[in-house]
Amino acid sequence: MDVVRFYSNIIKRNMDKPEKINKLINFGLATAYYYVSIFKDKRGPNSLHYLTKYCIKSIKDSLENPQNSAWVNIFSPCEFLIALDIKPLFIEAYSSFMSGFFIEDYLIDTAESRGISNTLCSYHKTFIGANELKILKKPEFMLTTSSICDANVPTFRYLSKKQNVPLYIIDVPYKYSKEAVAYVKNQLLEMVEKLEEVFKRKLDLDKLREVVKIENKTRTLINKYLNYLKEKTLLIPMTFEMYMLFASHIFIGSKEILKFYEMLLDDIKNAPPRSGKSIFFLHLLPIFEKNFQDYFNFSNEFHITGSDLNFDYLEEIDEKDPFRGIAAKLILNTFNGEMERKVTRIRELIEKIKPDGIIQFCHLGCKQSIGGTFIIKELATKMGIPFLYLDGDCVDKRNNQMGQNRTRLEAFLEML
Amino acid sequence: MVGYVCKYTPVEIIEAFGEKPVRIESGCKSYERAEALLHTNTCSFVKGVLENIIENNIEEVILTSCCDSIKRLYDVLKDRVKFIYILDLPRKKDTFAVDVFYKEIIKFIDAYKAFKKKGFTVENFLKILEDKSSFKKTQKSSESIAILGARLKDDVVEKIKNSCSVNIINFTCTGEDRIFNIESEDNLLKGYAASLLNLTPCMRMAEDRSKFFYKDFKGIIYNTIKFCDYYSYEYAEMKSQLNIPFLKIETDYTDSNSGQILTRIDAFFEATDIKKMEQKKAKKGYFAGIDSGSTSTNVVIIDENKNIISYSIIPTGPKALESAFKAFEIALNNAGIKEKDITSIVATGYGRVSIPFAEKMVTEITCHGKGAFFIDNRVRTVIDIGGQDSKVIRLDESGNVIDFVMNDKCSAGTGRFLEVMSRTLGISIHEMAKVHAEVKENITITSMCTVFAESEVISLIAQNKDQKDIIHALNKSVASKAVSLVDRIGRKGKYMMTGGVAKNQGVVTAIESKLGEKLVIPAEPQIIGALGAALIAFEGTNG
Repeated sequence: MDVVRFYSNIIKRNMDKPEKINKLINFGLATAYYYVSIFKDKRGPNSLHYLTKYCIKSIKDSLENPQNSAWVNIFSPCEFLIALDIKPLFIEAYSSFMSGFFIEDYLIDTAESRGISNTLCSYHKTFIGANELKILKKPEFMLTTSSICDANVPTFRYLSKKQNVPLYIIDVPYKYSKEAVAYVKNQLLEMVEKLEEVFKRKLDLDKLREVVKIENKTRTLINKYLNYLKEKTLLIPMTFEMYMLFASHIFIGSKEILKFYEMLLDDIKNAPPRSGKSIFFLHLLPIFEKNFQDYFNFSNEFHITGSDLNFDYLEEIDEKDPFRGIAAKLILNTFNGEMERKVTRIRELIEKIKPDGIIQFCHLGCKQSIGGTFIIKELATKMGIPFLYLDGDCVDKRNNQMGQNRTRLEAFLEML
Repeated sequence: MVGYVCKYTPVEIIEAFGEKPVRIESGCKSYERAEALLHTNTCSFVKGVLENIIENNIEEVILTSCCDSIKRLYDVLKDRVKFIYILDLPRKKDTFAVDVFYKEIIKFIDAYKAFKKKGFTVENFLKILEDKSSFKKTQKSSESIAILGARLKDDVVEKIKNSCSVNIINFTCTGEDRIFNIESEDNLLKGYAASLLNLTPCMRMAEDRSKFFYKDFKGIIYNTIKFCDYYSYEYAEMKSQLNIPFLKIETDYTDSNSGQILTRIDAFFEATDIKKMEQKKAKKGYFAGIDSGSTSTNVVIIDENKNIISYSIIPTGPKALESAFKAFEIALNNAGIKEKDITSIVATGYGRVSIPFAEKMVTEITCHGKGAFFIDNRVRTVIDIGGQDSKVIRLDESGNVIDFVMNDKCSAGTGRFLEVMSRTLGISIHEMAKVHAEVKENITITSMCTVFAESEVISLIAQNKDQKDIIHALNKSVASKAVSLVDRIGRKGKYMMTGGVAKNQGVVTAIESKLGEKLVIPAEPQIIGALGAALIAFEGTNG
């Protein structure tokens, strides 16, 4: 019998006992952590092994220590949390893990039964469902940005009211200007005041500068890594690109993530020359979709050569004025602002990586991303690169049309 | 003419330029042209706006960065209209936010000046602001029904106003009064920017709206839009906290949705006693109820002692009126009476508006509640699954409807769903209704959508799965949808199931297993709505 299914059935049978579920989830994460620590997947590079362990541990740590954790969204400026030694739990990651445990359907149905829109992003619905069922222990603080995803502000406001936990919303303007930077910087200052008050500790500015310095060093490595992708092939599963979001967003600035990119750079330097067909993904990867798993996981024939979400900011942050620097970073994210900004970044990446094809998996409920699908298709056509978009869900497996997707995916891969 | 959509748009500046700002509505027949430019899962409002801009050849558009879908609308329109500007709209209203918005307004003025090659005068602008500021309404909130949530089309607001006699206040962004508080003329535009940010916040703003709306209203109608998720949070929050009549409607801006919306609004007013009542004394004779549904037309005739003396059920043909005549005639023949013997007729169902010989029209929600309670007064929840829609109705101890939910514009979990699936499986609808004692494999149909579920069933057929197991899975799927509707208003027994699908023993068993309770199934579940209508005709009370 499938062990994960057996585990998820136990969870589903006990959904009315939040304490028990909380323990079961923590147990599941601990088991997963020890499993990946002992049984290294030899098909992938060392950096994959390191990152997998790191990601599971980070989720486990924040869930086990709610008194020292903050719920955040993936675009939150976590440099401040790292400098204050607060464990962030980003809701997108938690929901992915719950989908990995095969309980996302129950959590989503719970959120929808409370009145939450069925067309809302399933990352958010899964998290809200877990919150409704009280299987999440309340954190000390919540933090969100308004940027990129409309759901952030209302989801966090809803969670904060339900849990009676302080929330700070960072409103990130759509356009870059000196007024916009001042607006965000002022909010970051206010947010730090709130963090200091709630966690009863003072932010050491030098420590924040150190975090930003590490982040800048890490970004230098990311840029170097990008230069290798054109000629080298790393055999990785789709989960690797998604785990990379921990590294390129929430935990960037930590020493562990710097180490990860050092390992990744070593791995890509020593990787064999590129062979087979390389696919560049846009936005998210459907890691639970079997069709995709069959074709892309550790495959030499069709390998994944990156996802634009991991390269949404590639510049340095001002180390002298980290508040100003981080404010600018938030506004200038390529997913923020006009689509043209995102298109320019995708063009740069395509020119650098030279993939054989581009796939955009249109995650149901993600309006900012799916709304621009045809604009990116136009770009791909101009650049002469085959482009495929498929509709589905990266969390709620019920929204994936396996038969239809397989035909389209196979036809696209045959086309290459 | 300058098209805009968001209430935070500086329309007074457009007017000061001597141009006419026009709020772009989203009503349209189809999204044919919009879906060639925007993904089909984009918010229906935005698709409708795009459709209108193309159809009406609107050449100048001003948008705000209010949501992801509008931002993408801007990207799509950028090279397709002569002038387009997207204003960066902050979510907060502190001095830094006002600075951002103020500078944006200046940039917009410059851009529009350059495009139009003309300026605007401060005198004009001031006069426009003063005219609007002097306009103030006084409303008594306790006597009012508030419309909240996502922007609601003017015609739907009109329909609501026409359905009741109480005051209706539209708090969605189509109903906002624009009142400006400009303290200093020296910094006119900055004050104007601040005033705009101070309008009643919509859900995209950072401010908590609850302080604005937790007032003493007689009832609340809450609107959400398909693929616009902002307002569902507030709905979820309000639903669990408010203790006044509360109705959720979901609009999608295509014209085809209005019938269902009207049914819900009427039923809401009927259930909350807001609709005007006409008190009449009970009469002697025979009383008829006609339920003109999308799939079947049903008639019930009762006598002065409330005995059912005859009924008829016929498929609704292409014309609702002809079917109603036919069903009425059959019921009269069955009863052995003539039309002149009938004292009063009440019509219900989607086709109720098309039956001229009925004296009154009452929604099927009220009628189903009435009919169900008459059959068994222990019933507190009615699950009615018809051909095209399904609903769950909550009754109080006296049989009054106190809450209800309906499926949205989708045939998932309805009789239509089962029909489509029976065709896919190549079997009769009667075969689908059987309970098969042995289930070899407990398959789950995961897709709730009829179209997606059909493709899932085709895959199961391709995998040579046992037909009985697929039927079992489909019945479970319908049951799951019904129970999720029950959960939306909370579980409370005793339960009765009405409508054609109640004849499907497979679905009944699956619902019972999910609810953990037996369902009351009337001898003829399809006529409960018509029975309720006949009872209302007898009582002569509901208007």
